[in-house]
Amino acid sequence: MAIAPERPRIYGGTRIPAPIPTVLQVPRHLRDSDDILTVNFGPNHPSTHGVLRLAVDLDGERVVGLHAVIGYLHTGFEKSMEQKSWWKAITYPARIDYVSFQYNELVFVLAIEKLLEIEVPPRATWMRMLLCELNRIHSHLVWLGTAALELGAISMFWYCFRERERILDLFELVGGTRMHTRYFQAGGLAEEIPPGFFDECATFVELMPKAIDDYEGVVDRSPIWLERTQGVGLLSRDDAIALGQSGPVLRASGVQWDVRRAEPYLAYDRVDFRIPVYSGGDVYDRYRVRMDEMRESVRIIDQALRRMPGGPWIAGDRKVVLPPREELHTSMESLIHHFKIVTEGYRVPEGEVYVAVESARGEMGCYVVSDGGPRAWRVKFRAPSFVALEATATCVSNSLVADMIAILGSLDTVMGDCDR
Amino acid sequence: MTFKGIPGLVEIKEAYGETTLLVDPARLVEAALHLRDELGFNFLSDIAATDYLGWGGKGVSGYMGTATGRDLNRPSTSGLQKLPDLKPRRFSVSYHLLALRDDPERVRLQVWVDEDEPLPSVVSVWPTADWHEREAYDLMGIRIEGHPNLTRILMDDDWEGHPLRKDYPIGGEPVRFSGEE
Amino acid sequence: MEQAVGLTTLEKAVAWAQTKSMWPDTFGLACCAIEMMSTVTARYDLARFGMEAFRASPRQADLLIVSGRVVHKMAAPLRQIYDQMLEPKWVIAMGACASSGGMFNNYTTLQGVDKIVAVDVHVPGCPPRPEALLEGIVRLHEKVLAGIPPAYEIRDVAS
Repeated sequence: MAIAPERPRIYGGTRIPAPIPTVLQVPRHLRDSDDILTVNFGPNHPSTHGVLRLAVDLDGERVVGLHAVIGYLHTGFEKSMEQKSWWKAITYPARIDYVSFQYNELVFVLAIEKLLEIEVPPRATWMRMLLCELNRIHSHLVWLGTAALELGAISMFWYCFRERERILDLFELVGGTRMHTRYFQAGGLAEEIPPGFFDECATFVELMPKAIDDYEGVVDRSPIWLERTQGVGLLSRDDAIALGQSGPVLRASGVQWDVRRAEPYLAYDRVDFRIPVYSGGDVYDRYRVRMDEMRESVRIIDQALRRMPGGPWIAGDRKVVLPPREELHTSMESLIHHFKIVTEGYRVPEGEVYVAVESARGEMGCYVVSDGGPRAWRVKFRAPSFVALEATATCVSNSLVADMIAILGSLDTVMGDCDR
Repeated sequence: MTFKGIPGLVEIKEAYGETTLLVDPARLVEAALHLRDELGFNFLSDIAATDYLGWGGKGVSGYMGTATGRDLNRPSTSGLQKLPDLKPRRFSVSYHLLALRDDPERVRLQVWVDEDEPLPSVVSVWPTADWHEREAYDLMGIRIEGHPNLTRILMDDDWEGHPLRKDYPIGGEPVRFSGEE
Repeated sequence: MEQAVGLTTLEKAVAWAQTKSMWPDTFGLACCAIEMMSTVTARYDLARFGMEAFRASPRQADLLIVSGRVVHKMAAPLRQIYDQMLEPKWVIAMGACASSGGMFNNYTTLQGVDKIVAVDVHVPGCPPRPEALLEGIVRLHEKVLAGIPPAYEIRDVAS
């Protein structure tokens, strides 16, 4: 069995290119030598995780220049959300980061609730946390399947998506549809949790750790995987912070930062979980962080299942939340509230807030400005993939073309999230 | 944590558990350096530009049936319950900062600019601002000075106009229904 | 007489061969791409249709499954990919966004990919379930077997 070469240690100083931090420019001596081949990794490419265009300058196999062109999926979410009432606008964010969809809904709904200063019942909080952790596992499975596929471990794709189907079955049980469930509402959940969900979820929690063991068994000691991921795409701690990285990329560079632990939201301060941190700053460490995070997510889901509180699933504030249907037959106030919420939409007080959650990709933030009316004035999403792509130029300095593919995979960008 | 010593500070606002520091745009880079070096805000999360054209213009929602601020045929367009505070300028640019340490802290650094008023770039302070500022320029038309590569990022390179501005139409097509002629 | 009988049988044979190995191009754009990927996986198994070989190069592909929202910036690359495909070629507009712009009726989203390419089958859904995509593929196969020519021969792009 071949032994993986010794990993190059993380670099000192900074490798952020200058003057433009996000563009790797061809060094002068090579520019004049006429040996540079400029290749376009166009928007339609099987390995660029969506529609990303990279203009890469190659000296043989070595990447000496790189600049990324994005915007091929800019759908105008933020402007579309300004046209809809707050209720309807919740449907949009799920499609931004379409692999970890519930985080986008969660962050928008948390921002609305922060402005409304509404009290969310504990059952809704714990259920939101459970669903978000399921979504984190879902996102990491999609990442592992596709990243391994690009590096040549093609069978991982089928293994990972097998478990992903089980998660989507759970989402379908709860929200009626596999993806983009739109199950979060301002004030809680859209509907009561269906019976049978907890048993299905418990079955999933039983089998998931064994599945993660399976995945690690396939790649973790494979010499090809180790050689292709260790020492590749180095990003030092200071560079990672300077480039605004968050999530697994930051934690693989040695920074112990997780919004769930540092600024807890939902019920994360009441469950027990580890934050995996590695200090190698390379593709292998990012892989290890995500694998460990999957295991920790299973633990969180297990704890949430055991400790799920009973009670209402949505807040009682009738100015924001629809009253239960039975009341409409007897109570005039309920009828009026229902009418006003459905036609006019609930009003969110004037102000601006910024809420951040730890999505599967990193810090997902939502900046909401309200003018006191029934529609948003400005919604801005802080997309972790947008920022992760800024680090591409730093990570690929000194690497080969094949390594570039591995690095892009490890940054785990979703172009919907990047372009919004 | 005291924010009083920040160069160019105009006002400190506290709302919803968040602190907003209003700063003079001309001294933005000094304020940024002070925040990063003296106060430890080494992480720039986000740069959000907002256009306040038409702020409060909907008027207060009139009684059902009155003309001001309510279009019965378009739900969710009703006016406001009270007029919001007037804004000093047309655009606000908010820098969401985070002090990444054991007792983390977040703060919003906010500047107000008018149309065509240039804003200095903070790329030299936080390199991650590169693409965020390009997005602010592309979608909102905020002119950033000193940016090494101020080009459009999300829209086509030859796009005209700045889509997220309030005077830019939403676009799209009118919805047609089958069976209508 | 013998010639007429021979031609009909040949066409049917060719149509049958086309449906049995219609290779798609890797044109995943957004959320629908994730559901398209799960069509390839073991539960929904696109391989039983002979279609699991997604070609990276459009010159080797027969079918373009436009999965996801097409925006203005992407319209030109999409048309280029479509033009590079060799005839006969088919297009499935997967999802609401590719069929008609979906929930995004704004300055940047193309209101339906049939504005730039001729579409054979529209598959509704946001995103469509893998079974829905399979239904769309099966209907396309039925169209081909019935002898209906690909869309670019019958209709032009929408206005």
